[in-house]
Amino acid sequence: MNRGYRVLLIDDDPDFSAAVSTYLEANGFTVVRAASGREGVTLAARARPALILLDIIMDERTDGLFAEQALRELPGLADVPILVVSSLYDAEADFTVPPDRMWGANTTFLRKPIDPTDLLERIRTLLGVPES
Amino acid sequence: MTEDAAETIVVVDDDYAMRLSCERILSKTGFAVHTFEDGARGLAAVADLRPALVLVDLKMPGLSGMEVIPRIREIDPTAVIVVITGYATIGTAVDAMKAGAYDFLPKPFSPDELRLIVRRGLERRRLELDSRQCEIERELMKRRFVSFVSHQLKTPLVAVHQYLEVLDRLGDTPDMSVKAREWIGRCLARTDEMRQLIDDWLTLSRIEGGSLGRQRADADLHDTLTHLIESYRPAAGERRITLALDAATPLPVHADPTCLAVLFDNLIGNAVKYNRDGGAVEVVAERSEGEILVTVRDTGVGIPADAMPFLFEEFYRVPREGAPVPGTGLGLPIARRIALELGGTITVESTAGEGTTFQVRLPRHLDEPAPGEEVP
Repeated sequence: MNRGYRVLLIDDDPDFSAAVSTYLEANGFTVVRAASGREGVTLAARARPALILLDIIMDERTDGLFAEQALRELPGLADVPILVVSSLYDAEADFTVPPDRMWGANTTFLRKPIDPTDLLERIRTLLGVPES
Repeated sequence: MTEDAAETIVVVDDDYAMRLSCERILSKTGFAVHTFEDGARGLAAVADLRPALVLVDLKMPGLSGMEVIPRIREIDPTAVIVVITGYATIGTAVDAMKAGAYDFLPKPFSPDELRLIVRRGLERRRLELDSRQCEIERELMKRRFVSFVSHQLKTPLVAVHQYLEVLDRLGDTPDMSVKAREWIGRCLARTDEMRQLIDDWLTLSRIEGGSLGRQRADADLHDTLTHLIESYRPAAGERRITLALDAATPLPVHADPTCLAVLFDNLIGNAVKYNRDGGAVEVVAERSEGEILVTVRDTGVGIPADAMPFLFEEFYRVPREGAPVPGTGLGLPIARRIALELGGTITVESTAGEGTTFQVRLPRHLDEPAPGEEVP
C-alpha cells in the first residue's frame, strides 16, 4: 500500500482534479487538492506532500510556473518531485529536468491528459514505492 | 567590427548568475551591456541609456517583468524587449507579447540561443525603424494566439478524456458505480462547454472575417428582445430572478437579425448568470437623440474595478469566489465586436456587490435602410 504518501494536486479544473485524485486514492495515496497556485503553495507548507502534481495554466495565466518557484523556496520542498502537467505540450514533451539545473531541477513535464498507468509508475519510481 | 558593436543592451534580472552570464556572452559579441537587478533600476537605465534591446526577467521582486514591459514601451517604443523566464509556455508568451515584448527566451538557454534571439530582436528593430515591422508583429501575435485558443479548446476535452481513462481503469470496482454516474454528468457538461466554445469562437471569427454583420435586413429589436427575455424566463424563475423589458414598439432596425440576437443574448445571459437569487434584470430599449439605446441592468455580483480594463478581452473571466460559473470568456468580446460592426458602441458601469449596467448604442442609420444600400 501507498498509504502515508501524500500527493498534492494543484489544478484549477475540478473535473481533471476529481478524476486524477480518485485514481490515486484508489491506489492507496492520500491526495490533497488545491485549485490555484497560491492555494497550492499554502497547502504545501502545511501538508508536506511527498510529491506534487502541478498544472501550468490556471485562471488563464501561467500561475503554475510561479507556483513551481514558490514551492521550491518552501523549507523541505526543494527536492520534492514535482510533475508539471499541461496540455500545452505535445507528444514529445515528457521529460525531466536534471537535478543540477538552476531552474526546474527535479521537475518532470507531463502532457495532459495523463495515462493513469504511466502516472502511477512514475510516482512509484520517484517515491521508491514497490508495486502493491 | 560589426554594426552591432554600437548597440546598447540592458539586462534586468534579479539573479546574479543570470546577469553575469548575459553580460559575458553579449559583451564578447561586441555589445555594450549594462545589467540591473530590479525593475526600477532597469527602467531608470532604459530612460538614461536608450538601449536598443532590453532583456527582462519576468519574475523579480518589486516590479515584475510584466509591469516593466509596458513602461519600457512608454519610454522608448522602439526598444526591443525580450522576456526571460522559466519554461516557455504559450500562455506566458501571449501575456508578454500583449504587453509589448518581442520575443521570449526560455531558461535554461545556451549562449548561442541568447545571441540568436538578440540578433533577431535587433534585426526587428531595424525593420521597425524602416517602419516595415508592423505586419510581422501582427503575424507573430496571430500565430501565438492560435496556440492559445487551442489550449482553451483542449481544456474540456482533457477533462473528459481523464474521466474516461480513470473509469476505464477503475470502472469495475464497487465504489465506482456512484462516481461513474456523476462523472457521466460532468462529461456531458464539459462536452457542452466545448461545443459552446467552438460556437462562440466561430461567431467571433465570422464577425471578424466580415461574413456576419454585413447582411442587413429589417429586424424589430422589440421582438428580438421579447423573444430573448422569454427564453430566459425558466432559468431566471428557478432562482427567483425577475425579468423586465421596457422597449419602444415597434423598434425597427436595419441590421443582421442573427447578430442583434447574439449581441443581446450575451448581455441578458450574463445579467441572469451573474445575478443573485431573487435579483432583477431590467432591459430598456429606446430611441435617444437619434440613436437606439439599449440598457441591460442587473442586481448581480458586479465587476471589481480592477477587472474592468480586461472585460472585453478574449477568454478573460472575472475572478470569482466559490464554485466556477460556466462560460467561455468570449461572450463580451463577441458582443463588443457586433456592436462595433453595426457602427455602435458598448459601455459598462458596475459596482461590485450591487450590479452591472451595459449600454449599447446603435447609430440612427440602422433605423432605416441607407439610401441605395443593397443587401449583397
